[in-house]
Amino acid sequence: MHTMKRAIAVMALATPAVLGFVGIAEAQDKFKLGMAVGGNTCCEWMKAQGDVARAIAEQNGWDYVELSNNNDPATALKNAQIFVQEGVDAVIQFNGQPSSNPAISAVMKQANIPIVTYDIADPGMYFVGIDNLGAGIAGGEALGKIIKEKWNCEPDLVISSEGAGAGIVNEWRTGGMRTGVKNICPDIPAEKYVSFEGSGDAAVALQPARDLLAANPNAVKMAVVGINDGGVLGLINAAEQLGRADEVIGWGQDGAFITGDNVNPHLVGSVFYFLEGYAVYAVRDVIKPVADGNTPPLKADAGDPASKVQPCPVTAEQAKSVPDMPERVAQLLAAPAGTTAYDLFCPNKG
Amino acid sequence: MTDTALKSEPADYVLPHHPVRDFLTGSVASIGITFILVLAVGLFWVGPKFVSFGNVSIMGTFLIVPLIVGAFAGFALLSGVVDLSIGSMVGFSSAIFALLLSMGWDPFSAAAVTLAFCLFFGAINAVAIVGFGAEPIAATLGMLVALRGITWVLLGTQGAIFAFNIELFNLVSTQVFGLPLFFLLAIGLTLLAALIVTRTRIGRHVQAVGGDDKAAARAGISVKRVRAGALLLSAFGAGLGGIVFAGQLGSAARATGLGLEFQVYAALMIGGYSILRGGVGNPIGGALGLLAVAGVSNILDLLAISPYYVNIIVGLLLLAAVLLDRLRGGDAFE
Repeated sequence: MHTMKRAIAVMALATPAVLGFVGIAEAQDKFKLGMAVGGNTCCEWMKAQGDVARAIAEQNGWDYVELSNNNDPATALKNAQIFVQEGVDAVIQFNGQPSSNPAISAVMKQANIPIVTYDIADPGMYFVGIDNLGAGIAGGEALGKIIKEKWNCEPDLVISSEGAGAGIVNEWRTGGMRTGVKNICPDIPAEKYVSFEGSGDAAVALQPARDLLAANPNAVKMAVVGINDGGVLGLINAAEQLGRADEVIGWGQDGAFITGDNVNPHLVGSVFYFLEGYAVYAVRDVIKPVADGNTPPLKADAGDPASKVQPCPVTAEQAKSVPDMPERVAQLLAAPAGTTAYDLFCPNKG
Repeated sequence: MTDTALKSEPADYVLPHHPVRDFLTGSVASIGITFILVLAVGLFWVGPKFVSFGNVSIMGTFLIVPLIVGAFAGFALLSGVVDLSIGSMVGFSSAIFALLLSMGWDPFSAAAVTLAFCLFFGAINAVAIVGFGAEPIAATLGMLVALRGITWVLLGTQGAIFAFNIELFNLVSTQVFGLPLFFLLAIGLTLLAALIVTRTRIGRHVQAVGGDDKAAARAGISVKRVRAGALLLSAFGAGLGGIVFAGQLGSAARATGLGLEFQVYAALMIGGYSILRGGVGNPIGGALGLLAVAGVSNILDLLAISPYYVNIIVGLLLLAAVLLDRLRGGDAFE
């Protein structure tokens, strides 16, 4: 019996090594696009980014492979290796955990596969994304005007819901919003600016936001900025739980929670990026040229991107005229090729 | 009812002994069969691509860290102490290692210092649990939280340390016979651990201490020394895992190692270990548990099915392993 047990164990352990030698060659003639979606359950737009990329790939007659990064850096790297194995010709990714980006770049470079990254730059990847600093300042200035009108530029606190994991993007967006508020209300004392780490996620932000509110029991007039709508909502939700939401106003980034039937009334505005529609930019400026054999020069710097997405600041009132995400996706896919969501939906087009 | 009475009268649900049934429900055989079933399902659903050269290599690459961590943490489980801090230790190790690399240290010196730090924290676990009789779950849960905090401090406001080193990346990505060298080394480590557990006096002492520490002490085995050694090994393995992780990713981040303790222990339990009952399990069973879970995850990846289903399947496998353990009589079977 022991011999049999040992035999089964050895066979099972050795199987991957033995079967690994089975070489599989797959014939491929069509252009194949790989898409790694963010995979964080926080946000509907992460799935929508894949839906739009898939639809555009189909419109172009390309093969399409989609994987989820599961919001995990190791999974993102594993996905890059799967894309190489699948023989894709180009990759688009959103990697919310960008610490694995250098390794992903190395894998893609070795395989000679161009890769587009959304919103978080890496030297080895084509950057497609929002003008984060511009979006931050625009949102901050819009909120500053409300602070000036409502509280005569004398809030008790200006709270930042940080997302430090996003690195420079957090500094641009959240810091940019503080700069925007200061542009309108330059005399708010420095000690009124406080921060907490919300990780850009309403659920994660809830507890640290409660702690911050508990540490500031007398604050009533509170303005909230943050790396995205989710992070800002974390503080608003905490204030509601503590019965202190009456005079909280928040202005988010990304526009993820400013449309639909259940917009929080304390979220007074946001900056639409129309994240679901990034594939239009990526395909137009990088993927299509690659498919046509005209690979463009690598533009990896967020300051000089391969394709820049226009920010669209809106008040909650203005956002009511913007369709919710499923409708936007449907309209975007029905529009002529190359039409961006900004073109279709931004109520304040410059 | 006494313990003796309990042992002599197994519960109604316990299957009666039969050589073939005992064999099939044994920990290594059952996980071995499970693994072969996963392979069969993969071949049926995904096709030959599932066992292709490149795909096995990808699975192997991402099993290196769990295999290393599991092989060492298994000693702690066998000795009757569960070390919940292994995931945080991996994160901490990767952060220290990446920090030292970013300061210009050479990888080998950085690895040595990192492992020394990990052994230091492992020694704190050992002192708390062995020296002061602290409950292992409580003590290592405290270490889990503390190490996570230290890691976040090290990572700073950016939440990550980028230390991409192409030579190190190439080293951990080295392929031998078409498979990752470090994966083969991790399999070798597992086999070595299995050899130690089943064929050496040290291994028998570890199992004896985990099975019944009082009986082991009466037999002249130093229970404290064995458990302290096992906790140090567990910390060392997690440290090693963190170093490999940082080499693979070229960075350390807050997410590094997060939840790894659940991934590893779930797989070890599926493979026949017990979290609360020492003396049970075999490193080969643990490795097969990891391979089976990785296989399931890979099937879902290749079929572009949401990875969240992996958790459901792992949960069901775990439940099946627990039920199987009860059906075969738990302690009595061992």
